[in-house]
Amino acid sequence: MEAINLAGSTVGVLAEDGVILAGEKKTTSKLLDQAKQHEKLFQLDDTMFCAVAGITSDANILINRLRLTAQQHAYSFSEAMPVEQLVTSICDYKQGYTQFGGLRPFGVSFLVAGYDAHHGFQLYHTDPSGNFSGWKGYAIGVNNNTAMQIMRQDWKPGMKLQEALELTAKTLVKTMDTASPTAERLEFGIVYKTAEGQVKFRMLKDTEINKLMADAAPKEGEEGAASSST
Amino acid sequence: MGTEAMLGLTGKDFVILAADGQAAYSIIRLKNDADKIWKVGKMLFACSGPPADAGNFMEFIEKNVILNELRTGIPMSTKAAASFTRNELAHALRKGPFQTDLLVAGVDNDGPSLYFMDYLASSEKVNKAAHGYGAMFTLGLMDRYWKPNMEEAEAIDIIKKCIKELETRFIVELPNFKCKIVNKDGVKEVKL
Amino acid sequence: MVVAAIDMSFMEDPSRFCKSHFREDEEGDFEAEMRPEPLSFAMAPVANPKTFCLDMKKTGEAPGLMDFKKGTTTLGFVFQGGIIIAVDSRASMGSYIGSQTVKKVIEINDFLLGTMAGGAADCSFWERHLARLCRMHELREKERISVAAASKLLANIFWQYRGQGLSCGTMVAGWDKKGPSLYMVDDQGDRHKGNVFSVGSGSTFAYGVLDTGYRHDLTVEEAVELGRRSIYHATHRDGASGGVVRVYHVHEKGWTKVIGGEDVNKLHYMYAAEKGLRGDE
Repeated sequence: MEAINLAGSTVGVLAEDGVILAGEKKTTSKLLDQAKQHEKLFQLDDTMFCAVAGITSDANILINRLRLTAQQHAYSFSEAMPVEQLVTSICDYKQGYTQFGGLRPFGVSFLVAGYDAHHGFQLYHTDPSGNFSGWKGYAIGVNNNTAMQIMRQDWKPGMKLQEALELTAKTLVKTMDTASPTAERLEFGIVYKTAEGQVKFRMLKDTEINKLMADAAPKEGEEGAASSST
Repeated sequence: MGTEAMLGLTGKDFVILAADGQAAYSIIRLKNDADKIWKVGKMLFACSGPPADAGNFMEFIEKNVILNELRTGIPMSTKAAASFTRNELAHALRKGPFQTDLLVAGVDNDGPSLYFMDYLASSEKVNKAAHGYGAMFTLGLMDRYWKPNMEEAEAIDIIKKCIKELETRFIVELPNFKCKIVNKDGVKEVKL
Repeated sequence: MVVAAIDMSFMEDPSRFCKSHFREDEEGDFEAEMRPEPLSFAMAPVANPKTFCLDMKKTGEAPGLMDFKKGTTTLGFVFQGGIIIAVDSRASMGSYIGSQTVKKVIEINDFLLGTMAGGAADCSFWERHLARLCRMHELREKERISVAAASKLLANIFWQYRGQGLSCGTMVAGWDKKGPSLYMVDDQGDRHKGNVFSVGSGSTFAYGVLDTGYRHDLTVEEAVELGRRSIYHATHRDGASGGVVRVYHVHEKGWTKVIGGEDVNKLHYMYAAEKGLRGDE
């Protein structure tokens, strides 16, 4: 549980026409080459992805299983697995490790975001005990209490994807410990509907992230800037 | 391929299935009021082959489809059920137990669908289908008269034509055809 | 150190505990332990037990040993007054008549009858086993088993042993809460509910007489006569059927044996006399 609360701040927001996950990468050293390595967000299926907080090695095992489960479902039923079913399956698995003495549970929390025909866009949170629940906005990792508070205030029903992205950026700005977070420390992923009505997953480009974060940063004349000018 | 006939057609917002009522043991007719069209969830499965195989296999599929709905809270789509059934047939194929030919019919949000499946576990989405020796006499007819977006009366008429043809050309008399329709509201039996 | 002693087997298949897939829903061993007797029996200790009897016969080591008692006519039908079960009593082993006094109706309990056609041992073993299962059902559930359930138990057993050489064609007849019902169950695992059945090598002959004479509104006397007559005609044409005719009547209060054993020879001359014939034409 400690590893989860110490993990980089991770935020998920549900919008009317999409769902967002974003997370902060905790860089331990400048020398670490992570140019192409995802650390926070993992695609699970065509329209499902997740963010992790906790012990990375444990997470890798579970992500592998999530992906496998989703594909096995597709194999059996020729259909994408509904999000809730996938979340349920991985939580059943996690629960198994809490039941027997001598075994260590998986120290991982997930935010799972995705789309299916039954319930549209969805966001779920799972914890190491195997509990899970659906949310409209959720945060894990450092300062998750602050993040949740901000989202409780600003999340509105019927939010569009763009507004939700702005809310995500705002939440991250306030919870991360750096004053001006940039793309090299952040990952953003979205599941969204295209103009043709197709549902897709993509990671945001660095330029897009930088613009979002710059827009969300406290402006000149606002409280932060004002206090520093006195 | 047995001396049986199972027919299926898709219509505008429904699928119609028909099957003969014969259960045979060797050359002996044990029964002429058998019902070979099973209601599984909101779908219809027509199943032919040795009666024991058909019965056991359909029971297995039916129970699993219901179990899946209970567990997930989501009714299985026709596509998913057909895919699941095909998989089970494919597994059974190398173990030997099920020699069943199937027609799977259902109506989902995206419209009616009909799957043709044989005991070798091939599966194909089609608009018209037939199994057994009956297929030899009726597929041509169905190709001739089927058209997209048919009303129920038109489809029933084609089924009647097929049965008539079986009576005139097939040396085995297949008794008491049962005919059922599945649409978005559920399943109903049609008196021919 | 303690950790080493823990059974880690579920790591390989944790879904055994979470039950998230179809396939893993196998019953635990509890059921098996609670059964009154094992549900499997030993196979012949040879490479291919399925074809043991055929192989043995081909070698000629034990002439006659593998010629099982086969050849029968049994019939059953449902009518207004319940169910009539009629059978012959011959046991043939190839061309040799093993016995003329076999009891081919197995009295499962006061309300259930089973008939045997095919391998005598197979039928009698599994129907006596069925009788045991039915009794167990009564003790557990405090009510009699339905005919549907009893026949399904038998069909499930046959399904389990399918293709392994069992030879059985049986009818299960009885009276339960829903009234009379008649099922035909065979070694393929088939199970049919119906009003008129005939099983065995003489069944085609019996069907001819039976189908022609059958009406649902037969009186009990007429029905018994139809059963007797159908069996007689089958024994007349089918060399593997013969002996005596036995007829049972299943009704609301259980079953009664109407004809305990009437020689088909006697019947032959009786029916001939009805036509003004001597019977040796």
